[in-house]
Amino acid sequence: MNFMDSIRGMSFFDMHVHMTSRTTDDYQAMADAGVVAMIEPAFWLGQPRTGVDSFRDYFASLVGWERFRASQFGIRHYCTIGLNSKEANQEELAEQVMEILPQFIYKEGVVGVGEIGFDDQTPAEEKYYRAQLDLAKEAGLPVQIHTPHRDKKQGTSRSMDIAIEHGLDPGMVIVDHNNEETVRETLDRGFWAGFTIYPFTKMGNERMVEIVKQYGPERIMINSAADWGISDPLAVPKTAALMKQHGISDEAIRLVTFTNAVTAFAQSGQLSLDELSQPLGIDQSQRFNGSSVLRGGQAPRVDKESTIIK
Amino acid sequence: MTILAMSQTLLYLLEQQPDSAAAVQYLRQQTDQLQIDPKPALFYRVFTAMPRYVGKQMIDLPPDMAFAIERIRPGFSVSGWTRDRLARVWWLLQLPADDEERYVNTISQLFKGAELNELVALYSALPVLSYPTRWRFLATEGIRNNIADVQSAIMLHNPYPAEQFDEAAWNQLILKAFFTDKDITQITGLHDRKNARLTQTLTDYAAERQAAGRALPPHMEELL
Repeated sequence: MNFMDSIRGMSFFDMHVHMTSRTTDDYQAMADAGVVAMIEPAFWLGQPRTGVDSFRDYFASLVGWERFRASQFGIRHYCTIGLNSKEANQEELAEQVMEILPQFIYKEGVVGVGEIGFDDQTPAEEKYYRAQLDLAKEAGLPVQIHTPHRDKKQGTSRSMDIAIEHGLDPGMVIVDHNNEETVRETLDRGFWAGFTIYPFTKMGNERMVEIVKQYGPERIMINSAADWGISDPLAVPKTAALMKQHGISDEAIRLVTFTNAVTAFAQSGQLSLDELSQPLGIDQSQRFNGSSVLRGGQAPRVDKESTIIK
Repeated sequence: MTILAMSQTLLYLLEQQPDSAAAVQYLRQQTDQLQIDPKPALFYRVFTAMPRYVGKQMIDLPPDMAFAIERIRPGFSVSGWTRDRLARVWWLLQLPADDEERYVNTISQLFKGAELNELVALYSALPVLSYPTRWRFLATEGIRNNIADVQSAIMLHNPYPAEQFDEAAWNQLILKAFFTDKDITQITGLHDRKNARLTQTLTDYAAERQAAGRALPPHMEELL
């Protein structure tokens, strides 16, 4: 059976996906599968940037061009803004990035500071992680934490220790890329637990089903973290289908694929359940004199099955 | 245009909006603060955070207010604007304009890091900013922008391009408007700035459309 059949009519919120690295085909497929909103955390682009202007342009594209691209497919695009852990190691540049962050975190649709945290767990990473926690606290924004691939369990604990040390309410912190080894502590300590369904390196979705069965849906949310690597922008709807096959209730599925992420990030004041239940087209602020965003002679849909290109 | 008159009229219009008392009080406080200590950081923060304080509803624009605004700045219209857009344009008028370089630099920085709705407000504000000739390049960048709302803010109901663009830039605006399906009848100065070079380019464009079996955009004949 096609996974799309079992999830028809459901809405999804992919709370971690790097659309900058994806094509319009992905946007179309996500929209078709029921993804109505997404969060794009600021991250590492696969190779280091060499100047602060590259960061500025990247942040500006997350609140500008990428948001516009998403809107063409009826998808609401939000983002979290921050200095990622890898690039925190270039200290001279990191200082300059810290200086421009306040210009971006108050912008519309910025729902948190992220993704920040540890990669190698160096002193420089810790320094900028701490500085950005303070920034988030001052701005009243949630924090989206990237937990490290290497030395993961220790790194995840340490990330949470530091957040608490800086006076953040665990309810304002989304700890991402959890797995079987980290989930219990994350939930125990009152943080939100994000899970990334990403082939080979992070969670597989059969394992995810087991986690939801074991821990229930409270404070758990899933995402694709699709990016420039081999990843799957349909990870959230596919996992919803798999959960359904395994008898997890529609209510629980909705919590882990939609509502929990909305509740967590709505604390930014930049998104709400009400807003997300409206079709994008009727948001007047996105329009000019009543015209839609589908412009530039761009057809809303290209027929992929046809050999003819008009 | 006097900046003071425009500033007062726009704030008056904001005050006329339902439930705007708290927002207007906030805006007055920020202006006082800016006059005491004109720090760029304050100027940027207020501009960026505007929707949180004034909201994003469409404004009510009584005909006599539209008339008053047009009288202060011919060709300038706030029809169809949201409150945050109106308040942002008003806020730009609060920036001290006595030092030309500082003024141009401060506003240029806003363009550099702007999100979509901020860009719309910035391009809408061009007709009421000081030192009009200094925004010519940024205005052409707005035409190059691929975001529909941003293009519309500079192309439609905006007197700045017709007043400031040279022939090449103006012709690009018209072509880009056709290529991006704008309602070209909303372009200010459309007929006044007709020129032979534009007619030639549009004639070629019409022939190209016909060769491809595609229809001509509406209102094109009027410019041929």
